[in-house]
Amino acid sequence: MPRTGRIGLQMTSLWPRLEPLLPRVEKPARYIGCEDGARTNIYKPDATSWLLTYPDTYEIGLPNQGLQILYELLNERPDAFAERSYAPWTDMEEQMRSSGVPLFSVDTHRSAAEFDIIAFNLSAELVYTNLLNCVDLAGLAVRADERDDSDALIGAGGHCAYNPEPLADFVDFFVMGDGEEVIADITIAVDKWRRTGKPAGSRVTVLQALAQIPGVYVPSMYEVTYQGPDLVSIEPANPGVPPGIEKRTVADLADWPYPKSQLVPLTEVVHDRLNVEIFRGCTRGCRFCQAGMITRPVRERPASQVREMVSKGLERTGYDEVSLTSLSTADFSDIEEVVTDTIDEPETCGRISISLPSLRVDAFTVGVAAQVSRARRTGLTFAPEAGSWRMRQIINKLVTEEDLYEAVRSAYSQGWHRMKLYFLTGLPSEMDEDTLAIADLAENCVAIGQQYTKKASVTVSLGGFVPKPHTPFQWFGQNEPEELRRKVELLRGRLKGNKRVQLKWHSPEASTAEGITSRGDRRIGRVIEHVWRHGGTFQEWSEHFDLDLWKQAMAASGLDIEWYVHRHRDENETLPWDHIHAGLHKDFLWQDWQDALAGYGLEDCRWTPCYDCGACTEYGIEHVVASPIPPNGGSQGTGQDLTTGHVVPVELRPRATVGGT
Amino acid sequence: MRLRIRFSKLGKVRFVGHRDVARIVERGLRRCGVPFTYSEGFSPRVRMSFGLALPTCYESVAEYLDVPLTPESVIDGHIACTGWGEGKLYSEREMQDALSEALPFGFDVVALTLEPKGGNSLQETVVSCGWRFDIPGANADSVEEEIERVLQSSEIETERKKKNKLVREDIRYGIHDLRFEEQSERGPVVIAELAAKPRVIRPSELVDVLAPGAEMGIARRTHQWIEHEGQRQEPLMPSKSPQLKEHTQ
Repeated sequence: MPRTGRIGLQMTSLWPRLEPLLPRVEKPARYIGCEDGARTNIYKPDATSWLLTYPDTYEIGLPNQGLQILYELLNERPDAFAERSYAPWTDMEEQMRSSGVPLFSVDTHRSAAEFDIIAFNLSAELVYTNLLNCVDLAGLAVRADERDDSDALIGAGGHCAYNPEPLADFVDFFVMGDGEEVIADITIAVDKWRRTGKPAGSRVTVLQALAQIPGVYVPSMYEVTYQGPDLVSIEPANPGVPPGIEKRTVADLADWPYPKSQLVPLTEVVHDRLNVEIFRGCTRGCRFCQAGMITRPVRERPASQVREMVSKGLERTGYDEVSLTSLSTADFSDIEEVVTDTIDEPETCGRISISLPSLRVDAFTVGVAAQVSRARRTGLTFAPEAGSWRMRQIINKLVTEEDLYEAVRSAYSQGWHRMKLYFLTGLPSEMDEDTLAIADLAENCVAIGQQYTKKASVTVSLGGFVPKPHTPFQWFGQNEPEELRRKVELLRGRLKGNKRVQLKWHSPEASTAEGITSRGDRRIGRVIEHVWRHGGTFQEWSEHFDLDLWKQAMAASGLDIEWYVHRHRDENETLPWDHIHAGLHKDFLWQDWQDALAGYGLEDCRWTPCYDCGACTEYGIEHVVASPIPPNGGSQGTGQDLTTGHVVPVELRPRATVGGT
Repeated sequence: MRLRIRFSKLGKVRFVGHRDVARIVERGLRRCGVPFTYSEGFSPRVRMSFGLALPTCYESVAEYLDVPLTPESVIDGHIACTGWGEGKLYSEREMQDALSEALPFGFDVVALTLEPKGGNSLQETVVSCGWRFDIPGANADSVEEEIERVLQSSEIETERKKKNKLVREDIRYGIHDLRFEEQSERGPVVIAELAAKPRVIRPSELVDVLAPGAEMGIARRTHQWIEHEGQRQEPLMPSKSPQLKEHTQ
């Protein structure tokens, strides 16, 4: 069938071909759509069509708030419409491939290739091979330079887009930062192209137009220069494209009360509850945290709007649980009041549970605990991130042991029996005593709990640290999997026999693959393609992950894991994401890295004078925070003097020596 | 008092599993403010009891659900709603309409009554189910012949998996009725009434007998039968035919 610009007219449902496949696969409900909130009558034959695709299972992807926000915003536009797609599980993929059914939208079950744009949400690096698989299932060439002029444009956004280079060979355009506003610019540019009928030679024109949009990166318009293994530069290859790409930021969340009609799935998904985003951005300044660096500044939603979204959302969906989401929910200015009001809402009959993800221990007070516990108690997770105070100074997670114990005491005293503590291992300068301090913290928490309940227990969840782009730790050489495994075993041995502390850990091998993709350059594209071609999809699922596949792919591409993952970088090295700007000055990040090694703390700037990281000053925006008063004891909440670190900066030891990094 | 509800599940939502249906219905009840009750214990659940579980991929126009109500919420045969329905006093018919509206595309409440609590649970009392199913691609004549053969046999052996072991079993005793209805575009359509006791016999087991090697197409539960004073009857007769709501936003 010849393709024309008005492909909307040809869009037909694949449902009759899909339906016979569904009885043969696990959990077929994830392929039917039909959610409350789904749009199926938005079809506009003369509009730009977006297929918003989450490159992981439906259960993981459906609740994604970013995707749902864009879904609503695009469908409100007269000149666009959006449908959704998710990576089919392996059994479904097999059925689709053997019967020639391509990737489809779940809303009206149309073929992915018939959309103008297939836009991927990148929340984690290990989904990259799934992105390739989805493009291939759509019937398109995975490499951007092999696609035809009239083929769907492949776009990508989300946190991982801040280092777009590993996917540069496959994706036509990336979006940096908040998507709310930039989707309008993209729609207009693509609409123009669509109206021309997408003739031969037109693709480069639309890509050129996209590259002009602030926040949009078109990798094919940039040339990469290497010298031996070293990256020298990434510069515009075409005149008229900007040398640097600046992220997009919405100034005030109050202007964006989305999603208004959160999707209510018919089958169980993760975070299966009402989710209301209460603020975006975080300036606590944890040095390992990419989200906290790239989403600055803090933008709180007005408390009244939060209340309205909670109330309307619960009524519309029938959920009995609401999650107030953000990067650090207890930091919201009016958190205690919002929680109280939600529970006191007469219509909820006192039967609504509230979950507060990402709790900072110094902001989780007995007051908040008491309010939350009035309804059904949800799981509690605290993230001290490191076991020793020395280590927490280095990562700038400035919560004291006493802060943690107070939070834990609040929770146990209000009726909780168990909680989860989240830690990282493999942090810069980490010694065995730092790792073992995790066990001490956990045991002390249990001891506090036992004053309140015989059943007190704690789950310690241990993740291997993967340095991320645009953070002060971007120069740090990641621990080898053997070293991470040794630390896990160290802690396991220490906690052996303690039935009240359960230890869970993330696969050290998966951390290596994440390291390859997280700080990789454009050459890593060959590795991703190799892994995908050898069956490596769903790499974040332990039953499908295989580090050997990645090792083979690196070897086949002539690339060195040591160089990409485990090597410390120095100040002058050109990083693959240097042309991508989240506002943060590179010299700010470097200084913060040096301060980290010296154990110097950094204030939370939402309540203290600006130290000019660049996130606000570069873009002329500011924090939107209801309360200008820092928590008791200073901006980091603990009352300690942040300038007292180690006098002599910690030297990074040569790696792979036992007991330190 | 309790609500006894009969609902349909048609179209794409036939792929939703039984446990998910329970969650969907619970959200629908909550949206309407049905004054349901909770179980005791550390994590209280809404009290609901369903009829026989419907296998995933099957349609139905005869799903049943009992929802016990708080005693003070029933006033003169009307239901005083709480929560998001606070202030509403619904007749049975109004409650039926409100709940139909609150359920997603593909589900419809075809009957609803207020009745006294008590008696055995739906799961215990259902003795057999009516089914209508098609067998895409199968030969109509041979299906008709097989139906004749089944009806004239005193024993029909089938294989089925039991704890991961294949066992051979006679199912003839559980085939109360079996008829060829018509030849549709998709293939022969068969009507059957199959026992629910001592175990539920599924239409898919019959497909293996009537057209070995064929896959079952779309199967729809049309009835759940109970015995009342020696009479076979349905727990509720539909007060309307199921609507496949227009899926719009």
